[in-house]
Amino acid sequence: MLQALREIEGGIQLSLNVAARAPRLRVAPIFESFLRQVYFTGVTAATGVVLRACGLGVIIIAVMMDMLDADVDLAVKILLLLVFREIGPLAAAVVVILRTGTAVSAELAMMRVSGQTRALRYLGIDLYDYLVLPRVVGVMLATAALTFYIQFLAVLGGLVLSPFIIEATFTELTNRLFELFAPLDFYYSVLKSLLFGFTIAACCCWHGLNPPDLTHNAVPKAVTRAVTQSAMLVLLINAIFAYLVFGILFFGLVKASV
Amino acid sequence: MSELALRYRRNTSRHQIETALARGTVARLHVPDDDAKAHLVTAVLKARGGHDEELELFGEPTASLTPKARTKVRARIGAVSPVVGLMTNLNAWENISLPAAYHGSAPLAQVASLAREVLAAFGIEPRSFFSRLPDELGMLERKIAAFVRSLVGAPELMLFDALEDGLSAAECQHAARFEAEYRARRPGGSVLYIDTREGA
Repeated sequence: MLQALREIEGGIQLSLNVAARAPRLRVAPIFESFLRQVYFTGVTAATGVVLRACGLGVIIIAVMMDMLDADVDLAVKILLLLVFREIGPLAAAVVVILRTGTAVSAELAMMRVSGQTRALRYLGIDLYDYLVLPRVVGVMLATAALTFYIQFLAVLGGLVLSPFIIEATFTELTNRLFELFAPLDFYYSVLKSLLFGFTIAACCCWHGLNPPDLTHNAVPKAVTRAVTQSAMLVLLINAIFAYLVFGILFFGLVKASV
Repeated sequence: MSELALRYRRNTSRHQIETALARGTVARLHVPDDDAKAHLVTAVLKARGGHDEELELFGEPTASLTPKARTKVRARIGAVSPVVGLMTNLNAWENISLPAAYHGSAPLAQVASLAREVLAAFGIEPRSFFSRLPDELGMLERKIAAFVRSLVGAPELMLFDALEDGLSAAECQHAARFEAEYRARRPGGSVLYIDTREGA
């Protein structure tokens, strides 16, 4: 219990520190570190892992449409409600946790254990400035970009695949999609993915900088905690967001009374 | 007192360490063990002594320093020490230029020029050296990188902590030139060698 409170307090402090230090991104080494993080999280992930995540989205669409015997309206609703709003941001978050979350927490824990964070302090370099801020902001932006990329490819894949499963043309589906699409869907997924990125990065940075002890054995422990908690936080945020914005929770099992 | 660059005293049940270093001079201090060495180096680099330590830097007792004054005092100290190692995910050039780039204390062109000068004195080709990660450097090369990084800040007090540890006899001769390189750039600076070995 005490540990959990300590982690919550640490997470809040870290988040506030990042917000307060945002202007420090202009400092050259911090900006370079930020660009590196965006490249690692956004660009390198976009090649293979994202395509696989998109494949998953397309398979879900195919199975759902086949099972539900969908028409044009239902097919587009599945694409919008399931793929665009939920699977896109969640798939991006999973990719970011698995690739970046593990890397960030392991790297920072290793730096802490090997005394590199201490060396930075002696050089007068603030750990929040140099290690945390570029990672958190970089992961936030890269997660939003990855989400958009996954949504675009998965929806496009769904539109291309659907005419093979249901009786509808690509043009019909596309027209219906643009009719149903609301700006709220876009803002919702951008905001959610930014929040996912922030949570994952903040959680992984905190666990990386606060390993359970200062031995090499602490590194995998820190990574495990960071990944587990990041995943739980992402699911929690997703559920809260769905309830707040659309009044639905757990795929419609809980509904807000309007 | 104002002529002293450093005065340090530590009393424990096991041993007593006391040293004073006048400005512009060189001293060698042999401490009983690694723990005592770590305490001394850490206290000097933090500009803050522990409860059983007395530390004065540049004539001022560090216990009475304000946080701002402490930061200023720290900026006047350089060190080649395992305590202030290199960042393993940055190459040699990024390591050397990091403090200057972060604090904006010196233009990078000036840092590069200084680094090339010092590397030339050690017979090292800068281009390949700069691009290598610390794990790809030898022990002497790592110490040279840390030395150049310290030199960029033009410190008034330079600590050489266990300088010869892990070096061959030939490499030790190279490392012995650190002091001359430092003196050439900071003639009035003070140098303190710290080691745990007798007769080092």
